[in-house]
Amino acid sequence: MTIVTGKAEARRRLQPGWSGALRKIWEHRADYAYVLPAIAVMLIVIAYPIYYTVELSFFKTPPGLQLRDKTFIGFDNYTTILTSQVFWKVTWNTLIWTLGSTFISFVLGFATALALHRDFIGRGVLRAILIIPWVISAVAASYIWKWIYHSDFGVIGAVLVGRGLADQPPNFIDNVSTVLPSLIVVNIWREFPFAMIMMMAGLQTVPDQLLRAAKVDGANAWQRFWHVTFPHLRNVSVVTMLLLAVANFNSFIIPWIMTGGGPSNASHIWITHIYELAFGRQRWGVASAYSVLLFLTLMTLGYFYVRALSGNERKEGSA
Amino acid sequence: MTRIALGSAVLRGTVATALMASLTSTSALGAPPVDLSKWSPEYVRSIAGTQDFDTAADCAKVTPLDYKGRLTFWYQGVFEGDPDLLRQYYKEFFETFRKTYPNIQLEEQALTYNDLLDKFRTALLGNAAPMAVRLQILGGTEFASKGYLQPLKPEDVGYSTEDFWPGAMKAVTWEGVTYGIPTNNETMAFIWNADIFKRAGLDPDKAPATWEDVVKYSKQIHDKLGIAGYGLVARKNAGNTPYRFMPQLWAYGGGVFDEATANPTYEQVQLDSPQSKAALQASYDMYVRDKSVPVSALTNQQADNQPLFVAGQLGMMISHPSDYNVMLDLQKKATGTDKDKAQTVIDNMRYGLIPTGPDGKRAVVFGGSNIHILKPEYVEGGKVDEPAAKAIICMWTSPEWSLKMAYAGSNPGNLNGFKTKWMKERLDNIKFLDVTTSMLPYGIPFPALPQAPEIMNIIIPDMLQNALTGAMTVDEAADDAAKKVKDLMGGL
Repeated sequence: MTIVTGKAEARRRLQPGWSGALRKIWEHRADYAYVLPAIAVMLIVIAYPIYYTVELSFFKTPPGLQLRDKTFIGFDNYTTILTSQVFWKVTWNTLIWTLGSTFISFVLGFATALALHRDFIGRGVLRAILIIPWVISAVAASYIWKWIYHSDFGVIGAVLVGRGLADQPPNFIDNVSTVLPSLIVVNIWREFPFAMIMMMAGLQTVPDQLLRAAKVDGANAWQRFWHVTFPHLRNVSVVTMLLLAVANFNSFIIPWIMTGGGPSNASHIWITHIYELAFGRQRWGVASAYSVLLFLTLMTLGYFYVRALSGNERKEGSA
Repeated sequence: MTRIALGSAVLRGTVATALMASLTSTSALGAPPVDLSKWSPEYVRSIAGTQDFDTAADCAKVTPLDYKGRLTFWYQGVFEGDPDLLRQYYKEFFETFRKTYPNIQLEEQALTYNDLLDKFRTALLGNAAPMAVRLQILGGTEFASKGYLQPLKPEDVGYSTEDFWPGAMKAVTWEGVTYGIPTNNETMAFIWNADIFKRAGLDPDKAPATWEDVVKYSKQIHDKLGIAGYGLVARKNAGNTPYRFMPQLWAYGGGVFDEATANPTYEQVQLDSPQSKAALQASYDMYVRDKSVPVSALTNQQADNQPLFVAGQLGMMISHPSDYNVMLDLQKKATGTDKDKAQTVIDNMRYGLIPTGPDGKRAVVFGGSNIHILKPEYVEGGKVDEPAAKAIICMWTSPEWSLKMAYAGSNPGNLNGFKTKWMKERLDNIKFLDVTTSMLPYGIPFPALPQAPEIMNIIIPDMLQNALTGAMTVDEAADDAAKKVKDLMGGL
């Protein structure tokens, strides 16, 4: 008489092969039915556009013709992009924009989270106030900052000139050297609260007894932060920075509304340049190839994001 | 400048461009309802209020008033730089249309000048366009050449081709077929603050005669008063930029092609000609050398220059016909001492003709909008309700509504609009209308090419920005722009 153990049954169920997979699907049919509508929607609004964009990236789409009159040109659109001087200038802008915004937003958000982690009077109010930039509409914020920066009658310029600190208003966004840093400041202002919230949540997971034990052992504030707090926040830090990086790569509203990518392409980043190529100049093929490059970049970041999340789960699971 | 003096100046002809013949030539058409060869402020006054029109009765012949249907319609509507008066007329138009055609279910959508083309192109890609659309003058040829539009001529909605400016009809014609009807046409003029001129030591009642004078006056105003002299605009993807730079380019004898001639062929790119470079140099001199224009010129639009002007911080600029009303609106919204300051500026506002180039050539963009019907295959649902579309087109392009919808900011596309009682009323109510109307014969349409939107909205502003930021020299920027146009025309 053969005794079938639970483990053996499980092995039988998980045996590789087509019939095994089908059986598994059948066993989980209710689960699949629940997620089917979401999958169907995703296929329509995400998968098909991605497929179509990849397909279009291999076609020439002359701006004077309809899209259906496109002609297959293989990788020519990619060659066109990669050999274009503007592309490399825009890529450099994108790197500065993404890395600058991400890093500084994170540091500022982290510092603010640390400050707000301590108990003091008015902490709740301050926390609410600091979240305001993040909840304000990006469009509204862009227009407000455009007026704050205005080179002729902006608030900053008026204050500086009014107090005798400058002879004339500083030129923030009408100068090729200062426009990108000026936009990065706006972006940091808008998204550091996100980093702050993430890090505040992370700080709550740092075991208090460890901090107390470190204190008893004679560790000063910096040593407690560096050797206890920070290691506990490593994963949430990685996730926060990856999310910020992805958002910044895709950040369209601030540069588009404030400068339209100008002056002289000095504030164009990939996403605004793609928009201009597609909708302003109707180079759908080139814009699609450009979008594929952006997609691959974001997928790479997405991979690391998922890996960071999985790392967290594994760690929690083994704990 | 008094009305009579201005009229005399126009009648003397100053130095009329060859395009005047192009705009007013009617030999190939028939007799227009007004005599374009006599065009002057006095003539416009003499014909205003001489004829009555019954819009509902006229349009009933095109589409019966009890017709039952459904229409989706997008139009270039009012934006932040437009006066409140225009908002009221737009509102009144749609209310009247619904009363006149109570059984047509109208689904209209207003879009701003800078958004309309992008959104319309996107909708066309997904076969989700509206049944009818009112586009800026720049857009018609692009969509006609790609086969999106149905042939549509004034006769289809009860009017004659001769009822419209010949220059405007060119903008809706592609390869000999007419694909739309002009709703309104306007030309801009030159506006200045007499008080600023006086304080800067300039003649307060005299506009700069040439573009070289503009450069000189701008510097003088800036050096003496510390404010901006001329209201330069150089933002990309904004209609204001070509509307303000092209008159300068044409006056210097330059052009993108030969669009400033009577019979343009658009074959030779002229952006890199010495004349075009001289025009660009004038902008460079004002922005970089003299620093006499708003620093924000690279990112601003005309809507940014209006508050500067009404605050007394800007001496002069190319002005839309509606700018006087915009200034009145801004003055009403001002508070405290700002209100009085704004009133002083309005009292000192003067309108004149746009300056000439070194050879006496005067030019302005012949602007406006056109209305079109889409082919069914590009429309959401695959059907176009033609009678409903023709009903709204008949109404909008009627003498009455083409005048009313252009009351404060433009001129009626239908020339019969100049004969209505509303035109007479308008001449009395809208200050300086004579001047902007007087610029009409100097109007040059944008090249009637499908590539025109990219040239005007991207390549020209890019050229300006490259030169004004120092990213390129004036010569390099002009050569670069010429190359881009050549590449574009070559299908790249």
